[in-house]
Amino acid sequence: MATGLRPLHARYPYFERSREAVREADVSLVAAARDEAVAERALARVETVLTEGTVGEPERGTRTELLSYPIARVLVSLVDQPVLVHRYARAEAEAARERFVADLGRRELKSAPGNRLTLEGLLEEFDLDGAVRGTGRAETSEADTERGDGYEMGVSSYLSLAADRRGEEWRLVNRRLAKGWVALSREDVLALLGEAVRQRVASGLPLSVPAEIEAPLEEAVATIEERLAETNLIRDIDTVVPELFPPCMKYLLDQVQKGEHLEHHSRFAITAFLSNIGMETDDIVELYMVNPGFGEEITRYQTDHIRGVSSPTEYSTPACATMQSYGDCVNMDDRCERISHPMGYYEDALEDADDADLTDWRARESEAEAKTEAEAGE
Amino acid sequence: MDERTRAYLRGRFRDYYRRSDVSLPPDAEAREWGYIPWTAGPGTTMARHNALLDLGDFADFLTRERPQHVYFSVGRYDDPGADSMAEKGWRGSDLVFDLDADHLPSVALGEDSYATMLRKCKDALGRLLSFLEDDFGFCDLETVFSGGRGYHVHVRDPGVRGLDRAGRREIVDYVRGTGLQFEALVSGEAVAGTAGRKSPARKRTFDTTGGWSARAHRHLLDFVDDLLVMEEGEALERLRSFEGIGEGRSEAILRGARENYAELEAGNVDIHPAVFGLARRLAGEVVEIDGAPIDEPVTTDTNRLIRLPESLHGGSGLAVRRIARDELDGFDPLVDAIPETFRGQEIAIDVTDPGLVELGGDSFIIEAGKQVVLEYLGVFLMARGRAEKERER
Repeated sequence: MATGLRPLHARYPYFERSREAVREADVSLVAAARDEAVAERALARVETVLTEGTVGEPERGTRTELLSYPIARVLVSLVDQPVLVHRYARAEAEAARERFVADLGRRELKSAPGNRLTLEGLLEEFDLDGAVRGTGRAETSEADTERGDGYEMGVSSYLSLAADRRGEEWRLVNRRLAKGWVALSREDVLALLGEAVRQRVASGLPLSVPAEIEAPLEEAVATIEERLAETNLIRDIDTVVPELFPPCMKYLLDQVQKGEHLEHHSRFAITAFLSNIGMETDDIVELYMVNPGFGEEITRYQTDHIRGVSSPTEYSTPACATMQSYGDCVNMDDRCERISHPMGYYEDALEDADDADLTDWRARESEAEAKTEAEAGE
Repeated sequence: MDERTRAYLRGRFRDYYRRSDVSLPPDAEAREWGYIPWTAGPGTTMARHNALLDLGDFADFLTRERPQHVYFSVGRYDDPGADSMAEKGWRGSDLVFDLDADHLPSVALGEDSYATMLRKCKDALGRLLSFLEDDFGFCDLETVFSGGRGYHVHVRDPGVRGLDRAGRREIVDYVRGTGLQFEALVSGEAVAGTAGRKSPARKRTFDTTGGWSARAHRHLLDFVDDLLVMEEGEALERLRSFEGIGEGRSEAILRGARENYAELEAGNVDIHPAVFGLARRLAGEVVEIDGAPIDEPVTTDTNRLIRLPESLHGGSGLAVRRIARDELDGFDPLVDAIPETFRGQEIAIDVTDPGLVELGGDSFIIEAGKQVVLEYLGVFLMARGRAEKERER
């Protein structure tokens, strides 16, 4: 084992000092990629993400475990699928959060000397040392935990870490916010540090990988690609799956397709939604066109306007509150209870539907076309 | 708008820009600039994707082009003049808020006069600023009358620049109160001792120091204060008007409010289960009362173009007026946003759309047809499309 590599580095390979240790140990990425044990653990790191949603059991050798992280990032980059980057970063973050909880001990908050993990050290690691402070109530009762007491985070840092998290408790509106500080419990702080890990792991991915590093990893990449194909994960928010639309949008789309007259705000809402999930004007026109009486010109004009092609801005889909106030919120279901925005509903639904067999509406169309053409050719 | 009117307004806009010193926003050269020229015919085209350099000397540009509307981007870029957002290289964006009378639930469109709408909008602005200053603790704020139907607030604290759409949406939801849950407003604290009950007594309290919790608390206290000055019978009747509050509960609430007012004032809502129930009901109203109904898409859009402060609004002839914080209370948009250049003369116009106009601290009943009016009034009517320029005699 190289002298500078410590177990803490292997446990948190994304820390700056761990990266530093790797640099000092003078191990090249090429050498690491060629090291069988390292490559094997790197593959496990990524493969287990797809099979179990975790990064798997750590290797006991510090050097192998530590080096498997940069190689795992290389593997994720070579596969080059956004969903894999997303899943991988999330799994590393979850592992990190669990380790934070375990390593920091229960009520041990004072900084410890030497190489141990401390909350202060963690905050410093992610440039949050100025953005998080104790409220002086950190070591009191369980009731404080319930109150969300003990710590405060500056609102900008909070938003950059919490805005993408799901769950009502992370919504800013349901937090105590005064003079720019958001009240948090210790568990909240650790969860947000997990989010900081997620962002760091994902940042820069996919990397551009030189051929000499790629060569020894070809087999591992093929294995991951195979797993990925099995899990049907390759789909993101740019996927158009009308079955998963929120009830309000399903209803509006249905009305459009039936040729019902929609009020301006309703038409705006559905068009903004479709454009926000990545549909081009042509796609939207085509989707509306099921109804023969629809006005293509006006749809094109409105859609271009909403998409920001012919206007200064791209408009975003109205939030649930707006939909409600216009009477466009209909057929609420369970998922609606948990979200505050139709886009949030759809992202959530796509995420949950990962394992189901869903096809992008546009792919379906082209499949159908191909079929029609084939039939016509006969 | 006919040619003579357009020519007149263009000319007078130039006079305004000659005499005014329109200062640039910070980092002006990293922003995208856009403007709408005075053109004939329907449909307006915005010239955008301009860098400041493309426009030349800015003061000179304004007097030369004397545009109908001028905008700059909330975003700052490496190459603001690039034609697509991807090529611009985003560095960060101001956080902006738009309060538009058209979107306020309290505004009765078609009934409220322009002045009334703007008054309601200014009330909402006060609520918005309370969120931005007290809750968010923002320091670098610029408050502006939009020249049209509302107000803009530009926040430029360094911490907000890197926020993405999702983070900005959280801020929107916060100031609008979207998704606010009662459970999040009160925090429970187990009280030492069992107070004669089996489970430890709970003392759920509002946080009286700030945030939505303090707003809900204030709303509850206001309600209770009103109760306490009423006649007994009237107070009980008021309480019974709530669904689920009958005779017993209304009496319990009134007694609780009288006997434990100090507790209530300190935030404790568990002085009686009926009081807790009342607090829950009233909290449902606080969003309507204290929320700031800002226009969501404006705030979440990091590439938005927004009106340049101290430029002229081509649809009203009023100035997009910057308002100093300590002058906000006394600010009257229909007086203070009238450009000095347009005061002191009279002009001849032909009114096509007569009616009431409140402007310059006065109200005018304008009749149809040719007449001579104060210039700022004439400019306002022409810019709004309610009159054409008439030949001066």
